[in-house]
Amino acid sequence: MNQAMDIFTIEVIKNALVAIGEEMFLALKRSSKSPIIYESLDYGIGITDAQGRLIAQGNGIPGFIGTLDGGVQTLLAKFSTDEIYPGDVFILNDPYAGGGTHLSDVCMIRPVFYKQQLLAWTANKAHWTEIGGKDPGSYSADANEVYQEGLQFPGIKVFDRGVANQALLDLIEANVRLPDMTLGDLHACAASLQVGEQRFLSVVEKYGQDITLQAIDSLLDHGDRMVCERFKALPKGSWCAEDVIDEDGVGNGPFKVKVKVTISDNEFILDYSGTDAQAPGPINCSMGVLISAAREVFMGVVQPDAPATEGCFRRLKVICPEGTLLTAKRPAPVSSYFEAMVCAADVARRALASVLPGVVTAGQFGSVCTINLSGRLPSSDESYLLVEPLVGGWGAGVDKHGESGQFCVGNGETSNIPVEILEARYGIRVERYSFDTDSAAGAGEYRGGLGVVHEYRVLAAPADISSFFGRAETAPWGIDGGRDGSCNRIEVYDSSGKLKGCFARTSRFELSEGDLIRLITGTGGGWGDPKNRCRDSLLGDIKNGYISQEHAEQAYNHTIAER
Amino acid sequence: MKLRVATDVGGTFTDLVYINEGEIQAVKSDTVYPNFDQGVINAAAKAKLKLADVSFFAHGTTVVINALTERKGVKTALITTSGFRDVLEIARGNTPDIFNNYYRKPEPFVPRYLRRELSERVDYQGQVLQPPRLEQLDDIIEDFQQEGVEAIALCFLHAYLNPQHEQLAANYLRDKWPTVKVICSHEICSEWREYERSSTTVLSAYVLPPAQNYLDTLKTQLSAKGLASDPFIMQSNGGIATLQAAKNNPISLVESGPVGGMLGAVAYGQLINEANIMALDIGGTTAKCSLVHNGQTRITTEYIIEKTASTAGYPIKTPVIDIVEIGNGGGSIAHLDAAGSLRVGPESAGSTPGPVAYGRGGKQATTTDANLFTGKINPENFAGGEIKPDMQGVEAAFQALAEPLGVKAIDVAHGVIRIANANMVNALKLISVNRGYDPRDFALMAFGGGGAMHACALARELNARKLIIPPMAGVFSAFGMLMIDLRRDYIRTQRLDLKIDALDDIQQAFAQQIKKAESDYQSDGFSTDKLLHELFIDARYQGQEHTVKVKVDSLNLEPKESIASISAQFHKAHEQEYSFQLPDSDIEIVNFHLVSYAILDKANLKGQNKVAADASAALIEDRAVDYDDLGIHQASVYQREKLCHGMNFEGPAIIEESTTTTVVEPGARVEVDGFGGLHIYLEDRA
Repeated sequence: MNQAMDIFTIEVIKNALVAIGEEMFLALKRSSKSPIIYESLDYGIGITDAQGRLIAQGNGIPGFIGTLDGGVQTLLAKFSTDEIYPGDVFILNDPYAGGGTHLSDVCMIRPVFYKQQLLAWTANKAHWTEIGGKDPGSYSADANEVYQEGLQFPGIKVFDRGVANQALLDLIEANVRLPDMTLGDLHACAASLQVGEQRFLSVVEKYGQDITLQAIDSLLDHGDRMVCERFKALPKGSWCAEDVIDEDGVGNGPFKVKVKVTISDNEFILDYSGTDAQAPGPINCSMGVLISAAREVFMGVVQPDAPATEGCFRRLKVICPEGTLLTAKRPAPVSSYFEAMVCAADVARRALASVLPGVVTAGQFGSVCTINLSGRLPSSDESYLLVEPLVGGWGAGVDKHGESGQFCVGNGETSNIPVEILEARYGIRVERYSFDTDSAAGAGEYRGGLGVVHEYRVLAAPADISSFFGRAETAPWGIDGGRDGSCNRIEVYDSSGKLKGCFARTSRFELSEGDLIRLITGTGGGWGDPKNRCRDSLLGDIKNGYISQEHAEQAYNHTIAER
Repeated sequence: MKLRVATDVGGTFTDLVYINEGEIQAVKSDTVYPNFDQGVINAAAKAKLKLADVSFFAHGTTVVINALTERKGVKTALITTSGFRDVLEIARGNTPDIFNNYYRKPEPFVPRYLRRELSERVDYQGQVLQPPRLEQLDDIIEDFQQEGVEAIALCFLHAYLNPQHEQLAANYLRDKWPTVKVICSHEICSEWREYERSSTTVLSAYVLPPAQNYLDTLKTQLSAKGLASDPFIMQSNGGIATLQAAKNNPISLVESGPVGGMLGAVAYGQLINEANIMALDIGGTTAKCSLVHNGQTRITTEYIIEKTASTAGYPIKTPVIDIVEIGNGGGSIAHLDAAGSLRVGPESAGSTPGPVAYGRGGKQATTTDANLFTGKINPENFAGGEIKPDMQGVEAAFQALAEPLGVKAIDVAHGVIRIANANMVNALKLISVNRGYDPRDFALMAFGGGGAMHACALARELNARKLIIPPMAGVFSAFGMLMIDLRRDYIRTQRLDLKIDALDDIQQAFAQQIKKAESDYQSDGFSTDKLLHELFIDARYQGQEHTVKVKVDSLNLEPKESIASISAQFHKAHEQEYSFQLPDSDIEIVNFHLVSYAILDKANLKGQNKVAADASAALIEDRAVDYDDLGIHQASVYQREKLCHGMNFEGPAIIEESTTTTVVEPGARVEVDGFGGLHIYLEDRA
């Protein structure tokens, strides 16, 4: 093959490698037993080269974008190459090592050999519904050390040369609450790694090892070049912002998160120095997660028009001393790590909002707003566990209102569980799922998006709820004169309608038959001075009931329209 | 004389195909905007058909998808269960463009002020918790009338299990407001997931008046010209429907355009006894493909319009043939990205300005230009000889790409074809390998303007058993319509554990669906002896979400054997699709799916008689053709129209006809079948 042919062969191989990530993603989605995987798409899957450089990744959520390559690198540091064999599958969820987030997110990794040589790794990371620990659903709102949060897999073999490590499987079975689901996910994850391996090897067999490796280099370098092109259009300078996490689940707070974003001609630096020390409660995240958050912001801001690979992230630097809320050390509890992660990403976008209008929005409801509801079905004694993140309002932009009823920015393809499925599978009746028009969306020339009220009637006792609602005291910010949005909260009423409790973060709050749980998510911040709001658009909002007449009068100084 | 006629309205042409005493004929006429029915009448006139002689008239139309994508439907309102008016706008809350902080959700087809709630409730088992308070509809009617609403969609929770409340509310509305169109979710979709069902119902209501008007006008016009019976209408599920059935549920026509070609593939496969086909349709801007296995197309209700990598689109849960579509066609533009890598598509030069060769101002090289530049398309026969291609312009366009890459113009043309082919191979893998099917067990059937040009290279790459280039590729969709039956799909969510004591329930579920099918077809004028039923279940392992479709053909055995046989088939199908079985897991049925056909009498096509193998009568010339990675070869050029049944010859060859060019690689062998189709066997695979 001549050289002119080679450059196009490399293009063809590059496309094939990118397609592998997508194929693996679909394979895992379709065979999983956990709703958190198949509905929330709370997983990522992909392939790296022998050294752990990310080649391709299929993502349900951006949050795992820094974890697969990190996981492979952890294994490479732990095992020498003569300890790694074809048919091995490793399992890893150590939160403080590369590839870890919280214990519920389990990374499975498989080496890919061609003619006895290690050429690549396939890896995935998925949220398993149950991994043991002190609370049902494993992640906890009030854990104070990681040992309460479930089983830890420090990068060990679950398959050795193709043979399952039965002792480990038995151990998992004995330590989790829903062993059938957990082991089902384990097998589905293992099977999907094979899909990636087969596709990768068919590329190597077809084009040969040398040119395939050359194509990988070319693919990664291409990512870097695309990023550098986009850098030319970015503003240069340094911008700072601060935000807080109100509370850590065990009564401490607020905690400060601080960032300085620097964009130069060839670097993008996120410096989180000055962030508070790690919290006693489980809202901490580790360095690997912080890198994922940084990559998410980076991809959204730089928009390189290239698939996310190692090459895309060469210009990205993340700085933060050890032992902060964002770089927690063992044994800090981390099961609600997503609160720190979302905050880290949001504060970086806040720093950039004024210089990147049209790319970055005002503050969003800003929490994954997850609940763990456990109980038993009224029709049988079967127990259930509902793990569900909730939708809320996004921040406005320079030329648009905030999106309403959307999963938290950074939650990607996470999708809601249909009401008809919720009711069939869990012991609740949904009485309302609609926009919260009582809490005003952040006013502005463009207003924030609306939050949502979810009303769940508990059909049988005993039942209890743990909740992980952040941003319950400090509202999402407006930009450029736009007003702040509203906060997230939960109210519980008994069957007579009397208020039993009002909270954001709670653990195992006891529920009785007939109780009504109202989950209310916040609205986004506005953009621009409300007095510049277009009158027709305001009238449209009133007609549609997105905002009330009173709010229009008070926030927009709008006198009642004469019809 | 009893004629059978099919017409297909496309964006540019209205195709008409008819069978007269076993002979098939076709004409093309311009599509007339916005009076599509006039284009149909013109095509019939062009073919000199007397509609009074026509016994069967089938019609494919894009009127529904056009009304949706051009937002030309009517002012539509939605009534939901109390507490759920915002389900339509919240949608699934997902952000497909995962890194994008500036994502915009698709705007709902019904604004919030036209979404109203009714106090009523049914639980997840179909039990009534609260009867509907119908008097609440009075205020709603008044408001909707003031707003000028023309169609109302009703979608209540769990109506897929118990449609009673939707029926009561619909009757009330129709009674109080006879002129408004009302459509209920259970009339279109009996599957769970309230957002998808709401979206489907809303889009159905939105297109109901324009689609019904169109179908009524068509009927009137055709009948005025002498057509005695009503035309049949092509649906997205791969069957046709009576005019009345289509009027009741026009959303079922939404994808009738793209599926048309796939039907042609099924129909042609039946003619030549080919039941396993990868059908590939390469047009100007996209390539579409779909798998036919054992003569059956795959049906999905996970169909979403306007969905892209960056936006969520609008789901429509109506049965649609499962098609994978990618942005790669003849007009796809080759360009260098910011980092200097060559990419092909998804931007297309369309028909204006079109490829550089058209000389209409296009400056960027396209896939079609690459096929011209490498000599695969004969410049003398470009676009049926109607355009003299601007070869200088083509060369300049490739030269412009070649310089920054440091290669020759011809190398870039090769590169464009290879990258376009690789994109298409990836799409074909999605419908085959990714679903557990081995391409070696399938014939690749290629059509559309670009299919025959690329197919040989694709078949080689995929190791397909053989390649078939059917005749009438230009009117393939209309051809397919002539050959098919009426089809109705009944899909209903009803969860049931697949255990021995469930057999009664299973039989009952299907019996109910069959009863409904018989009654529906009876109102179409078809007696039960004309009906053919196929039974399927969508099932999954307990606890899983996604289902596998399994054909049920053993309900009359002993209970134990029946259940064992269905279970065994399920395990097998699961392994095929997902690469593993869980033999110890319980199996749960989620949906019952009945496919009912009303079988029509069809005309037999007369095949040609076989002639001697020598194809030299069709030979035009020899010409040097650049076969990309296979090098430059002196190819024999044949004229398609002169090839007869039984002729065969070997590549390198080119076969020309007015609408397309077939590229035959060196070493491949071509045989002509009795209907004019080309069967191409690749080297070592004959």
